[in-house]
Amino acid sequence: MITYLARRILWIIPVLFTVSIITFFLMHAVPGGPWDRDKRLPQAVQARLNAQYGLDQPLPVQYVQWAGKFVTGDFGPSYRFQDRRVNDIVADGLGTTVQLGVMAFILAVLVGIPLGVIAALGHNRWPDYLSTAISIIGICTPSFVLAILLIVVFSVQLGWFPTGQWKGPNYWVLPTVALAGFPIAVIARYTRASMLEVTRKDYIRTAQSKGLRDQSVVSRHMIRNALIPVVTILGPTLAFLVTGSFVIERFFSIPGVGQFYLTSISTRDYSLLMAMTMLYAFSVAFLNVVVDILYAYIDPRIRYS
Amino acid sequence: MLQKRLLALVGVVGIIAAACGGSQATPAPASQAPGESAPASVEPTSDLAADQILKTDIQGEPPTLDPSKAQDSNSITVLVALHRPLVYIDKDLKVVPALAESWDISSDAKTLTFHLRDAKYSNGDPIVAGDLVYSWKRLVDPRTAAPYNYVMAEVAGASDLLGVDPKKLPADSAIDAMLDKLGVAAPDDKTFVVTLATPATYFLSVATLWVTVPIQEKWITSANATEAANYVSSGPFNLASWEHNSEIVLKPNPNWYGDVKPTLTEIHMSMSPEPAQAMAAYEAGEIDTFLPVPSEDVERVKNDPNLKDGYSEQPQLSITYYTFNNGNDPTGKKKLDRCAASAKACPTANKNFRIALTEAVDKQAFIDATFSGLGQVANSMVMPGLPGYDESLNPYPFNLDKAKEDMTKALSELGVSSAADLGKLKFGFNSGAGHEPRVAFLAEAWRQAFGLETDQIGTDFSVFLTQRTAGEYDLARDGWGADYPHANNQLNGLFTCGGGNNDDQYCNPDFDKLIADAAVEPDQTKQADLYKQAQKILTDDAGFLPLRFAVTPQLVQPYVKDLISTSLDSQAPGERFWESIKIANH
Repeated sequence: MITYLARRILWIIPVLFTVSIITFFLMHAVPGGPWDRDKRLPQAVQARLNAQYGLDQPLPVQYVQWAGKFVTGDFGPSYRFQDRRVNDIVADGLGTTVQLGVMAFILAVLVGIPLGVIAALGHNRWPDYLSTAISIIGICTPSFVLAILLIVVFSVQLGWFPTGQWKGPNYWVLPTVALAGFPIAVIARYTRASMLEVTRKDYIRTAQSKGLRDQSVVSRHMIRNALIPVVTILGPTLAFLVTGSFVIERFFSIPGVGQFYLTSISTRDYSLLMAMTMLYAFSVAFLNVVVDILYAYIDPRIRYS
Repeated sequence: MLQKRLLALVGVVGIIAAACGGSQATPAPASQAPGESAPASVEPTSDLAADQILKTDIQGEPPTLDPSKAQDSNSITVLVALHRPLVYIDKDLKVVPALAESWDISSDAKTLTFHLRDAKYSNGDPIVAGDLVYSWKRLVDPRTAAPYNYVMAEVAGASDLLGVDPKKLPADSAIDAMLDKLGVAAPDDKTFVVTLATPATYFLSVATLWVTVPIQEKWITSANATEAANYVSSGPFNLASWEHNSEIVLKPNPNWYGDVKPTLTEIHMSMSPEPAQAMAAYEAGEIDTFLPVPSEDVERVKNDPNLKDGYSEQPQLSITYYTFNNGNDPTGKKKLDRCAASAKACPTANKNFRIALTEAVDKQAFIDATFSGLGQVANSMVMPGLPGYDESLNPYPFNLDKAKEDMTKALSELGVSSAADLGKLKFGFNSGAGHEPRVAFLAEAWRQAFGLETDQIGTDFSVFLTQRTAGEYDLARDGWGADYPHANNQLNGLFTCGGGNNDDQYCNPDFDKLIADAAVEPDQTKQADLYKQAQKILTDDAGFLPLRFAVTPQLVQPYVKDLISTSLDSQAPGERFWESIKIANH
């Protein structure tokens, strides 16, 4: 188990290396640069800035310089926020983004799994239709629509929660719900499908014929087995949530790092873009390892060596 | 086996999640939305609220609060509260004394001598003329790489520094030697002398800009100088706190020397990138002022009894226009390759073709359809309210019959029988920033009038700018907001041959001569006349397609008093005169 774990964690390094190479050369292949503005900067100023930031070097040299600093934990200066370092920008916002992501994740699991279970148990009856309707609405509603809807109803009309910012628990409610909308729907769909599959298994029939109570069959035999495929999607879902949502952070004015993932592309803030990509890649790779370990606990048939 | 299938599933789900997430998130380049004039709010305020706290929104995180390096509107909005230059503007955009209580201009208009008043920074140190010498040298120093250093171009010795070869930056010692020759001097602590290379009568307007403020060397060279804990201001307010990406709080600077002392005890500036969020925050009572009102909300706001009293529309020193590719290389010294090769490949370089396109556009209908009617029809470049604005300039009004005649002329000059033979013209814009309906409106107008087809190319902002600069498009979206209220800022560099912001690839030596003459003309009336003559050449050439002078809708709670909106406001109502704002009982 330990060897397996060590091997999996070490594999993250080549993954990050590959992601960094591809991202680095792709972002430089796109036309334009960090100094582009509607009002153009003088040529001499652009040249000077390029020299200051090392953008006048050949790309492979730039990559080596970036990688050299990155492994020492230095993400470099931001091109857009010129007084600040990427490390500070990430450090400032990461806590907020992770907190929002984890809260949305917990909400999605607490709502999504029961919703899927209820749907499966009431297969082709009203609980199923209700749950399916909720899921489809959740999948089809873009998060900015949900965000605006929540703001209009609960902030402007009812005045229960603030419209934006991130200053205390009452500021957390609406963004968490808005962010959890999509994963709730996805988790519910997976749980339902997986439960339905398990229902038809021989061991369920066996358990029922042994005379076990329904409650016990459902909780000990069905849900536990049905959760295995669900756990698979929880890893990437969590990675997706904790690296932040551009839309949610923007519409609720939340000082997280999620919005930088897209704004850094449009402003060609190369160092910030690299930092965000590496953060995302690491989260996905790491959480996949966590998911694989969780399998072993949920499903005794799985053994790692 | 199970593990493999699960991993494959992980991958698929990840891709779906990423694809969906991406599709929802369209990054919009920060719009430089113009500011607004206040509703009636200059009545005397007798009953002030106990809480003098203004809550407003500045639309995003300022990229920097270093005055020399700032170029974005969200930075400038905050900087004008924190610093004051030698001279400043009044509510009518006239130049008035600020740090300088008076100034003398030599008879040859080349030497400006400013007399400073007794003034202190927020840290208690006196503001001395030497700090201005330092600040101005820092601005033109190539090592600072200040985006707005070109505004110093007229100062003696500045052109050497601004013109250094981008490929071969000089050694530090050479730069220092050039800086020593820069035409700025401080004969004593209270006198600051500027020597200009050529008489530039608009230079006092330049001296109102945020980049010209006094800067203490020991402050700006210290670590984390622009963070709230270390910030040293010279204006009416201090930087009390700066929670990045979240909120800036300003408090009055106890050492502020100006005549108007702030009544407000705090200004809270939130940073909502989405106007829809700011609108909701205003309706929920979380902020007292903001702009722009989202265009989809304008009609509702105007008719809502609770909102309409705070609503107003403020004209901006800002223009919406579209470029015609006039066919000159960005250097201004030769034709673009494709235009030199064949006239047919470069139809917008033909004057009659440009005239026909201009005549085919109903500008008022364009504004009504794509800007919710907010704006004033523009037929030339210099904005209303500025010397040099000429209402009579409109050589090619909307007229479809005349447009078709002119197009027939143009087509025969280009050697084709119909507009369709020209193929699709490249029409560039930056996508995801609300320009789609405007581009579609124009493309459709030209298709209906002439059967002219366009390839509407929406790209990422940075790609768009690169292509537009290089002259890759025949037609492209464009716009300009004034840095300072003077015609020079609207024409010089935008339409002069090889100008830094000449996106129309326009080049006419007669136009250039008038702009150069106007810059050194001391008589204001004659100068305005020269700018009018220059614009006549530009509009007669149909060098570009002016469409709309901007108007921004804004909301200001009626209890916010003495808020002075100007046509320079861009991020928040009344941003040029934060110190005058008061909160009445409510």
